[in-house]
Amino acid sequence: MRNSIVNMLFTMVVLSTAIAVGCASAPLRTEASTSGIRAAEEVGASDVPQASLHLQLAKEELARAQKLNENGEEEQAASMLMRAEADAELAVALSHGNAERLEAKEAMERVRQLRHDNP
Amino acid sequence: MKTLLFMFLVVFFAGCATATPKELISARSAYQQASEGPAARLAPAELHKAQVALNKAEKSFKNDSDSYKTLDLAYVAQRKSELAGALGAMAADKASKANSNSAYESEQADIAKQAKQDLIDSQKRAADAKVKRDLSDSEARTAAALAKLEKLAAVKEDERGLVVTLSGSVLFRSNESSLLPAAKAKLDEVGKALRTVSERNLIIEGHTDSMGKASYNQRLSQQRADTVRNYLIDGGYPASRIRASGMGQGSPVGDNSSAEGRANNRRVEIIIERESHAYNE
Repeated sequence: MRNSIVNMLFTMVVLSTAIAVGCASAPLRTEASTSGIRAAEEVGASDVPQASLHLQLAKEELARAQKLNENGEEEQAASMLMRAEADAELAVALSHGNAERLEAKEAMERVRQLRHDNP
Repeated sequence: MKTLLFMFLVVFFAGCATATPKELISARSAYQQASEGPAARLAPAELHKAQVALNKAEKSFKNDSDSYKTLDLAYVAQRKSELAGALGAMAADKASKANSNSAYESEQADIAKQAKQDLIDSQKRAADAKVKRDLSDSEARTAAALAKLEKLAAVKEDERGLVVTLSGSVLFRSNESSLLPAAKAKLDEVGKALRTVSERNLIIEGHTDSMGKASYNQRLSQQRADTVRNYLIDGGYPASRIRASGMGQGSPVGDNSSAEGRANNRRVEIIIERESHAYNE
């Protein structure tokens, strides 16, 4: 008797958990990727060829993640979002890196010119 | 039976040997490239994140080789490796920029210092050349003045410089300190010659013979020296370069017991000093 009550309770818990998991369509957390894309746009990624490519990829991956989520593929959507975040982050770094490279080049040129003018 | 076993093994290994997805191959290569670049030294934290991401992808590949999860993790690992590489390159550029700027500032300071030194050297050379020129010019003018003065008065050279001696009887009446008319004409000529060497200092010394009281002679010799000094200044010689000194009877050049000796002792000496420095400086 006692065993059958325990079995019944266990079955109820398992069933209610399964229902809860099945019904709860968790919202897609796109904050990190959208803010990453915005940051890349703000630092001028569109003007740097390599950064521009990754910005574009990030946007496409975000769109694909949203589509997957709409189709109920939450896990795959979340996984796709990681791609978008990684591309957006890389776009920001490449934009900064381009500016830094240009400044380093200018500084070297300035020294070269100084040495040339003052042999 | 043996054939069956062989076939079973072939099918079994064919099933197990899954091709590595290109995402994972790219991720491995990207990580390898990043770890061999400046990121290892300049962006180690980012490189570590890339390694962790790659490990996750490898683990996922082991457990579920061709799942979307494996592909996505491999993709992320590749991007994180590229990110580490980019940050490493950026840090290297930053260091290079700092080095260049530092070198620029330091070399610019050296150049400015050298330019300043060059200017000082050049000014010094110009000043030395001018001193040399002036000296040579002054010597030439002194020689010319000397030639003129020798025609007008007795000139000798002693340790003080050139000494032009004018006879007292030519310049003054006895016991007076005002110039005779003829003396003015002579002093005009002397002054003209002296003005060509007006950078030299002059000492006008008045001397008397030993007749009369020494104190009187001292006063008279000072007055006469002052008179000659003032006359030369009026003629255009710089006042700052002439000093007058009454020597009294103390520096005779002749024997005071004879009339001739006393006449020689009554005199005014104009000493043209060798060094030029203003008396009121």
